[in-house]
Amino acid sequence: MENLIANFNYVIVVILMMIGLWSMLAQKNLIKKCIGMAIFQTGIILFFISIGAKDNALIPILTEASDHKYHDPDVAKVANPLTQILMLTAIVVGVATLGVGLALAQKIYREYSSFDEDEILNKQTK
Amino acid sequence: MPSLPIWQFDVPLLILVVLFAVVALSIRNLMGTAIVFGAYSFMMCLIWAGMGAVDVAFTEAAVGAGVSTVFIVSTIYNTSATMPPRPGGLPFKLFIGVVVTLTGVFLLSAIPDFPKWGEPNSPANATVAPYYISNTIADAHVPNIVTTVLADYRGFDTLLETTVVFIACIAIYSILRVDEARSKTEDSGPVDAEPHYDPSDSLIVRQASRFMVPFMQLFALYVIAHGHYSPGGGFQGGVILGASLILVAISFDLKFLLAQWREKQIMLMVAWGVFLYAVVGLGCVFMGGNYLDYGFLNPVLPGEQDMARSHGILLVEIGVGITVMFSMIGIHINLASNGHFDRGL
Repeated sequence: MENLIANFNYVIVVILMMIGLWSMLAQKNLIKKCIGMAIFQTGIILFFISIGAKDNALIPILTEASDHKYHDPDVAKVANPLTQILMLTAIVVGVATLGVGLALAQKIYREYSSFDEDEILNKQTK
Repeated sequence: MPSLPIWQFDVPLLILVVLFAVVALSIRNLMGTAIVFGAYSFMMCLIWAGMGAVDVAFTEAAVGAGVSTVFIVSTIYNTSATMPPRPGGLPFKLFIGVVVTLTGVFLLSAIPDFPKWGEPNSPANATVAPYYISNTIADAHVPNIVTTVLADYRGFDTLLETTVVFIACIAIYSILRVDEARSKTEDSGPVDAEPHYDPSDSLIVRQASRFMVPFMQLFALYVIAHGHYSPGGGFQGGVILGASLILVAISFDLKFLLAQWREKQIMLMVAWGVFLYAVVGLGCVFMGGNYLDYGFLNPVLPGEQDMARSHGILLVEIGVGITVMFSMIGIHINLASNGHFDRGL
């Protein structure tokens, strides 16, 4: 239990992933499925950012010293840039894939005039 | 109770995020869902800024809270926002609940094995990242380490991510776009949801956006050009540029935007951005280096090898910006007009 409190971030990550997964599986509405997918994704992004965070660290942008030169930074005091760039590109790709999902939902609505999974299946069997 | 190792500020935010996620999924009106999801993204953005990930927070503020909300709203505009009440299905939901809870328990059981939050010597922080932090100035003279890693050290990754955005844009065109001749004959039924109001009627919205758009675009260009020294870069600047034109499309008319940028031009620009990125990489090969090794461009670009790398990063960021900007516009005009390209949100 103490471990869980010490790693509170990761607990929230797991909860967000559970919410996203539940929404993708149990929600009948296609738009809500898409939003569940996005929530799942932000959970994973939060996980990566939490891994790369360092206690009492600065942002990963170096600053000039008073003599207008950049000196060797203290590595422990600069947040991990690697996990950040991986997630930065993932967010932009995420919105593009969310767009694809919404486009598919619109196309399905054009055909069946419903977002409801059960209704779509009913109309298919008729 | 042991003291929490994360900042006190983060705890209420993390709880709020979970709350917003639950609320977004339980609202029965989809328009409400879209708005609460936007608020959720803003909360996430604050959390990331608090952990030092300023570039990620910037991207999330532009993309997650801004553009993706617009995408969801335009989808709802063309379809319906209501969800019919659906009683029953409780056994199914219970079953899914059990499955999800089991997954969650397994994931939670792994948490005690993680390194402590904020540990500078954890495996993720101790392997390759210190090299990036201590060599970014000597290698490329870019103080924003995220930009260096994005476009230089891990240029392949970003090239392919840009390609994914390009492919997603093509996919949306091929899913939604309606052939005009065919749509004329089939134009019946519930396809065309009647707009509830005409957004182009509002004089205030129109004038306000007329004043805002130039400043937005200027800011976006600054974000791209100054991404070496401050948070920002091609992805963020491209999204803001795209958002400025999406604002034009919403406040005036979709036709007004399409009169200036034809859909063919938009699609071509999406491709040109990826092309610019790939050509810069090929240029390095012709100058005798490896693919995307900008240091070898220094006969062409001004400055020594490290400055050549800095300028190569700028070229690549411009390519990323063009692709992201026009793919956001391309996705928006498809979703907003339901593929008809005549009128929309």
